[in-house]
Amino acid sequence: MIDATRLKILTESAKYDVSCSSSGSARANKEHGLGNASIDGICHSFTPDGRCISLLKILLSNRCIYNCLYCPNRADADVPRASASPEELCELVIAFYRRNYIEGLFLSSAVERSPDHTMERMTDTIIRLRKVYNFNGYIHLKGIPGADKQLVSRAARYADRMSYNIELPSERSLHLLAPQKSRDSVLQPMLRLAEEKRDDAKRRGFLPAGQTTQMIVGASPETDAQILRLSEALYRKFSLKRVYYSAYVPAVRHPALPDTCTGLLREHRLYQADWLLRFYGFTAEEIAPEGENLPEEYDPKCAWALRNMQFFPVEVNSAPLEALLRVPGIGAMGAYRILKARRYAALDFADLAKMRIVLKRAKHFITCSGKFCGSDNATAIKTLLSLDVPEKKHEQLSLFSLPELAESAGSGQL
Amino acid sequence: MNVYRTDGSEEGFYTAAFRACTDKDCIVTCAADIQLAAGMQILEVRTDARCSERVKAFLRKYDERALGELSLLLRRGCCTKEMTALGYLRLIVEKRAPVRNMLAHPAVLEAVSEIKKVTQEAHRFKGFLRFMECENGIWYAPFEPDNDILTLIVPHFARRFADQPFAIHDVARQKAALCHGTDRCFIRTDARVDIPLSDNEQLLQTLWREYYDAANIAQRPHEKQMKGYMPARYWKYLPEKQPFKEHR
Repeated sequence: MIDATRLKILTESAKYDVSCSSSGSARANKEHGLGNASIDGICHSFTPDGRCISLLKILLSNRCIYNCLYCPNRADADVPRASASPEELCELVIAFYRRNYIEGLFLSSAVERSPDHTMERMTDTIIRLRKVYNFNGYIHLKGIPGADKQLVSRAARYADRMSYNIELPSERSLHLLAPQKSRDSVLQPMLRLAEEKRDDAKRRGFLPAGQTTQMIVGASPETDAQILRLSEALYRKFSLKRVYYSAYVPAVRHPALPDTCTGLLREHRLYQADWLLRFYGFTAEEIAPEGENLPEEYDPKCAWALRNMQFFPVEVNSAPLEALLRVPGIGAMGAYRILKARRYAALDFADLAKMRIVLKRAKHFITCSGKFCGSDNATAIKTLLSLDVPEKKHEQLSLFSLPELAESAGSGQL
Repeated sequence: MNVYRTDGSEEGFYTAAFRACTDKDCIVTCAADIQLAAGMQILEVRTDARCSERVKAFLRKYDERALGELSLLLRRGCCTKEMTALGYLRLIVEKRAPVRNMLAHPAVLEAVSEIKKVTQEAHRFKGFLRFMECENGIWYAPFEPDNDILTLIVPHFARRFADQPFAIHDVARQKAALCHGTDRCFIRTDARVDIPLSDNEQLLQTLWREYYDAANIAQRPHEKQMKGYMPARYWKYLPEKQPFKEHR
């Protein structure tokens, strides 16, 4: 069994990967083996940073030959190094899985020696899990850019989901911050896997949970508009299941990198916009006009509505689903509930409130049987709905102030 | 006003609903200690298979799915569950049709939100249940859910752990499910059970605890969100939430 020290090193190196989902695959438990996958995904624990633990997220090795500036494991960094053998990892996965600690394995690795060598060891690990341990749980495998395509294709047959990280939203930034990776080395394998999955659609066994990717937000100067256009293209052309956004955390210091954390609010707004792209029928063009960032004080749907007041108010008792989905404050679940409930009786504002439709924003954009409860002055609505962006806390420093606070007071940055 | 007191079973509820058919202003409950107001009297309901079957037959005729929904409702761990179920049942009787989509009706709203609490907890425990390896090779998982969800989660684990014999123990309700392959049985247990654990167990719990601590990003604290998703009342049986020194 792997020892605690190496487990710690390999976990800490893997934790910045934000993908945590274990959904999308319904792999069954075969021949009285161990495990299955749950189509909706299951969260097994939550860490104090509010993220869920669903899969055992771990690196096979953090010894890297690459030198990507933003990465805590880059070749030049002075960090403790470790690697695990495929057998050790399999044992750990099985032991954790049997205790119901995890839903499966999220296997990634630093590029040790060469991309092919690394990919081979990762493939070896998951094939061992599937064949030797008869493990049918969820496996998310990270693709190594530059690895041989035969190898990738073979690995994909044993995984539920694969992902290549785009890391930075533009080729220029990628070239600047991760000189050994190229845009093509990431996009080509994604495209090949997407095509292979399409060809294999009848057998349904190939990457049942599809592909995802991840971008770091705030390490490079791209705007939200640019990021969302890229996501939209990825969803359309590569049939990705998810694009993850990770607010930049300065794990390493370098002149080419910002010193500050990107606000979690920016990350949150990007996720909201991403949901609008996938489930609400919005286009990136509508959500974020060219060259702009998403406003922090409104959610993206509210911001769109405020720019397009000519679409409102929408009549709750007769509007089609697409129109309801565009009302700020009415989510997908809420819209479906309204469709069901209004077949029995006309709904008024009190009914909506009882149905837990949040009216704080919605009331300015809807009518119930012709009745309007909001404000018809666009400026007033803007003021009413703007989020109180939490005021930056200023505090008189004392001897007992936290060291982080003292540091931020010194640098003037929060 | 009459208070119909049942034995807490599903059959008991249907019997009471049958008896209280025309008694519009009544209370049905299974609570042993109820505070009676002036003018209230308790009627003990003896569970009667014939009465409950008549109500069920009615439901089968007009809304088959409601049987499952009422069964979920009656698993709630609060003492008003019978009243919620009765309100929902009476609406079906009144309409003689499925009512689950009348989402603006108070009885339906109440029922839907209570059912959600049961199914949501069942889903949560698919993740939060923790098995421990016992000396005799059986995997033991204690838990204390708010609602009576033991039978709801057993099929999931039976599919998943087809090759390991396991026991899931609802400690507060003193009942357990034992599964091995396709064999299943449900038993009542003592208030305290003593389970000797395997030698490996402690080590694995410590490793898991190490993993949990290492996976956290300390620069982004968001404890409130963690507690929202994983309420503190569930932490009792989670090894990762126990202080490092004193492992159970």
